[in-house]
Amino acid sequence: MTPLLPIAEIWVYLAGSPLFALLLTLAAYEAGVTIYERANRQPFANPVAIAVAIVAAGIWLIDMPYAKYFEGAQFIHFLLGTATVALAVPIYQSWSALRGKVLPLVASLLCGGATSIISAVGIARLLGADSTIQKAMMAKSVTAPIAMGVAERISASPTLTAVFAVTTGIIGAIVARYVLDALRVQVWWQRGFPIGVAAHGIGTSRALSINAEAGAFAGLAMGMHGVAGAVLIPLIADFVL
Amino acid sequence: MRHAQTSSIVIRGLIILLGFQGAGEIFTRLLALPIPGPVIGLVLLLGFLIRRGRVDAPIDTVASMLTKHLGLLFVPAAVGVVLFWPQLQIHFWAVSVALVVSVIATVAVSAAVLRFWPGRKS
Repeated sequence: MTPLLPIAEIWVYLAGSPLFALLLTLAAYEAGVTIYERANRQPFANPVAIAVAIVAAGIWLIDMPYAKYFEGAQFIHFLLGTATVALAVPIYQSWSALRGKVLPLVASLLCGGATSIISAVGIARLLGADSTIQKAMMAKSVTAPIAMGVAERISASPTLTAVFAVTTGIIGAIVARYVLDALRVQVWWQRGFPIGVAAHGIGTSRALSINAEAGAFAGLAMGMHGVAGAVLIPLIADFVL
Repeated sequence: MRHAQTSSIVIRGLIILLGFQGAGEIFTRLLALPIPGPVIGLVLLLGFLIRRGRVDAPIDTVASMLTKHLGLLFVPAAVGVVLFWPQLQIHFWAVSVALVVSVIATVAVSAAVLRFWPGRKS
C-alpha cells in the first residue's frame, strides 16, 4: 500500500459525505460576517455575497460540481422553509403598531410589488436578456425562501431567482436611504416599510441596524410581500411573461 | 416548565416550527394551492400567535435564531450562480441595470404611496 492511498481514501470519503459542503458553507459565512463587521457594517461588504464568493471559489478549486456541493449543503438549504415559518414572529410583534395603517401599507405593498416586477422584467426584456433571466426576475423582491417556491410554480429557475433575490437585497441595502432622502421621507415607519418591500431580508437587517421602528416595519413588509407574492405572482406571471 | 433548560427550549421550538411547516405542506398539497407550504405554515403560526396573544420562549428562541442568520441559509442556493455564470456574463448589463433601476423604482413608489397617503401626517 502506498502512503498516498489512505489520504486518497479519506478524500473520497470527505467528498462523498455532506461534511465538506456543510463545513465550507458555515466557514465561508462566518468569514463573511467577520469581514462585514471589520468593514463597520458597510452594505458593500455584504456577508452573503462574500460567503457565496468563497464557496464558489472553493468548489471550483477542488473541481466539485455544484450538484455535488448542493447534495451536502441541502441540510442548510432546507432550513429556509423553517425560517419562512419563523417570519410569523416578527410580523406578530409589529401587529399592534399596524392599527390605522393597514390601508396605506397594503397600497404601498401592492404598488411597490407591481413596480418591482414590471420594471425588472421590462428592463431585462428591453435590454435583450433571455427568457430564463426574465422569468427569474419575477420574484426577486420577495424574500428568497418564498421566491424560490414561487419560481418553481411559475417554472422559473429557483436558483437564478435566489441569486437575483440576494443581489436585489444587497442593492436595496445600499441605495434605499438615498431614494428615501430624495423623497424627503422622514418618519421611521415610512422609511422602513419600503426597504422591506424592495429588499426583503437583507434590507430588513440593514433597516434594523439603523432604527428599531424602521426594522420592524421592514420585517412586516418582507412578510406581507412574501405572502402576497406567493399568492399573486403565479396568477400574474402569464400576463407579464 | 419556567426553568426549562435552554437545550430543551431549542428542541421544543424546533418541534413547533417544523410542525407548522409540516402542517403547511400538508395543507397546500391537500387543497392543491399555488402557494409554497412554508408560507401556509407562516400564516398558520401567525394565526396561532394572535389567538394565543404572546410568543412563548421556545418559539421566540428558535425563530430569532433562524431569522438572525437568514443570510447563511441563502448561501447554498445562491452559490448556484456558478451554473449561470456564462449566461450572466453575456447579459451582464441587462441584469445589472434591471436590478438596480427596479430596486430604486420599488423603494420610490412604495415610499411615495405612504408619504402622500391622504389624511395622515405622522
